Amino acid sequence: MRYILAASLTFAFTLTLPASDWPQFRGPNASGVSPDKELPTEWSKTQGIKWKAELPARGVSCPVVAGGKVYVTCSSGTRDDRLHVLCFDAATGKQLWHRQLQATGGTSCHPKSCMAANTPVADETGVYALFATADVAAFDADGTLRWYRSLVGDYPTITNQVGMASSPILIKDKLIIPMDNAGESFLAAIDTKYGKNVWKVERPRDINWVTPITREVGNTTEVLFAAPGGMTAYDAATGEKRWSFKGGRGVIPTGALDGETIYLPVGGVSKVKLTEKGAVEKPEWAAKQLQTGFSSPLVYRGKVYTASSQGLIACADAKTGKVLYTERAKGAFSASPIAGDGKVYCLDEKGVCTVFKADSDTFDFLAANELGEGTLGTPAIANGVIFIRTDKALYAIGK
Amino acid sequence: MQLQYGLAILLGGGLIATPAPADDELSRALTTIKSVRKEGKGNDDAGPAWKTLVAKGGSALLPTLEAFDDSNPTATNWLRTAVDAIAESETAAGRTLPADKLEGFVTNDKNAPSARRLAYELLVKQVPEAKERLLPGFLNDKSPELRRDAITAELEKLERSDRATIKADLEKLFTLTRDKDQVDLLAKKVAAKGGKVGVTEHFGFINHASIVGPFDAPGGKGYETSYPVDSVTDPSGRFKGKGGKEIAWKPVSTTDKYGLFDLTKLLDKHKDAVAYALAVVSATKDMPCEIRVTSPTSIKIFLNGKAIFGHDEYHHGAPFDAHIGKGQLKKGDNVIALKVCQDDEKEDWAQLWQFQIRICDETGGPLPLEQKIVTDGNTKTIRLGFNPNPTETKEEKQ
Repeated sequence: MRYILAASLTFAFTLTLPASDWPQFRGPNASGVSPDKELPTEWSKTQGIKWKAELPARGVSCPVVAGGKVYVTCSSGTRDDRLHVLCFDAATGKQLWHRQLQATGGTSCHPKSCMAANTPVADETGVYALFATADVAAFDADGTLRWYRSLVGDYPTITNQVGMASSPILIKDKLIIPMDNAGESFLAAIDTKYGKNVWKVERPRDINWVTPITREVGNTTEVLFAAPGGMTAYDAATGEKRWSFKGGRGVIPTGALDGETIYLPVGGVSKVKLTEKGAVEKPEWAAKQLQTGFSSPLVYRGKVYTASSQGLIACADAKTGKVLYTERAKGAFSASPIAGDGKVYCLDEKGVCTVFKADSDTFDFLAANELGEGTLGTPAIANGVIFIRTDKALYAIGK
Repeated sequence: MQLQYGLAILLGGGLIATPAPADDELSRALTTIKSVRKEGKGNDDAGPAWKTLVAKGGSALLPTLEAFDDSNPTATNWLRTAVDAIAESETAAGRTLPADKLEGFVTNDKNAPSARRLAYELLVKQVPEAKERLLPGFLNDKSPELRRDAITAELEKLERSDRATIKADLEKLFTLTRDKDQVDLLAKKVAAKGGKVGVTEHFGFINHASIVGPFDAPGGKGYETSYPVDSVTDPSGRFKGKGGKEIAWKPVSTTDKYGLFDLTKLLDKHKDAVAYALAVVSATKDMPCEIRVTSPTSIKIFLNGKAIFGHDEYHHGAPFDAHIGKGQLKKGDNVIALKVCQDDEKEDWAQLWQFQIRICDETGGPLPLEQKIVTDGNTKTIRLGFNPNPTETKEEKQ
């Protein structure tokens, strides 16, 4: 009887288990961590691929997954001024829709990047795509345009000729737009229904590629936004500045939040305690060997991981900062490390994904999986599948 | 009586000429979408209008393309996504798009270039052979993408042929190119056949100018600071420069193929400084123009003493033609001036202080302009950009 009850409960739980989404840059709150089990370990261009879908053009943004759909952005054209948003069925890879926009902002950038650099953010209702041209559009899950805005049309001095890449995030009915640049800089909350400003706060005129993260303090949701001048916390409801922390400087990688601690890519990686009133000035530790470059640090099962633009994977004890190992990988990393099912995944710029065990104090190699295509975007994990976007295609890896 | 008769004819003629009844709902939807403005104004109504438009299906395709207005890019992007959705749903329903109407739309260059390009892509997706038929007609098109594809196709055709006129054909094709990579490619192809074309002149680069500087710009505030030469229309006068030193205009030239003036060589290296360049070009009639500037630092463009464009950004690369000032040249002499700022960043890559400036039409093509230059105390007139012995630039890497 007890067995039947347990079996029934298990069955019921399985049926009602919510699908694990990966809705934004680096997944839930930019953590890079998936709760999924039985994630794939080995694959190649011809093996272990659930489906593959061709993409119309390049993009350095990451795929995002919500409500059974995978969303990807690309940019194309001689001037890189054609902006693409694509939606695929996560189960089959069928392309459900494809919309294009004409860039209204400048399209200059570092040759390594492109206009599809910011990762979109999605929920059950659809997707919000921000491009490096400061064009932003909201599409329903069926491809209906909910709204579109040319932020350069609204604020004409927006410019970053190196190319912008900070990604938007969603907080309930607000789309948070980070727009640090060499012209009019701001952080704004836009209402998700009509695309109008809820609040917009001035920011320093300085280029910045960091994506904001959020944390809950009592009844307040804070938006933490790091920049070259330090980290600032804003009230997500009003945009009011709550505190700032000069030691929380950021330029490219995004910090990783773990409870009341944030691991910032400053001086390697620094562990900083957060209180209700802000950040504790003195870091608990700083580990120079945890080098990032373009990618963001990962905190998973009591360890901190980095994958650097020099091709070095490093791991430290999250409690003490003691570096447990460094390992030279095959190539340079732009994508951030991600984790799930007790494994860490580091995808390099040539499409080689190094997989190793998380629960080990030494580098416990599992596989190096080659797709043979260039890629800079961080993979997504959703419903037991790893989604990798290369310069040419979107791969769903798993069963 | 005569009036009544005339009215009857007019009405009759009107009735005969009137096409199918207008779809008011469609018209209202298009008007609503075209009314979107800054900061999301009009989005509340534009969303439902977009759905109405798309629900109309194929019948809304051409009216939506016709509604494109490249002068309101926000509205155009609303319409563009509607065209995508309509075409997608028609295809999914197994219906073909109206190829004849699309072709008619594409070949009418009075339609917005962006809409024509989109229509062209829909057309060739459905009727691939239309590509070969249509592209030769786009060699001198206002749409940069259609022109580019046409030139690529024509070049391939020329290279496959063994025409005796290949050199002349390539030279002619060169005159139609606008994109820098295609200009350079065609120039090489022409040279390989023993011909010679003037890249500097084709682009309309100013390669003779008067410059003055450095003016002091403490705190890197040169861009927003006014200087006594902001509205000058001739290169005369003396000014108080950086460090109190008296400075005056001086004539300079460049033989660089892309019209590069290096201010660090012409004026020495300076930080927190501003310099001006000035040139006089003559037009045979009033004409619209674009003044395009390439520079790694903040700039402001003046036409006949009036600022027409500014961009305040330092050392984030120097993309070609990144800065475009649109203006109207008047018949006779026109004064083109450029303010070039420098900040105080110390890094090696932040020491660049240079500019390129060219005058062209809206497609980036040459205008029939002459430039007055002073050599050895004598004033003479040359074709804008004429450069008998160009040198190559080692272009800046971003």
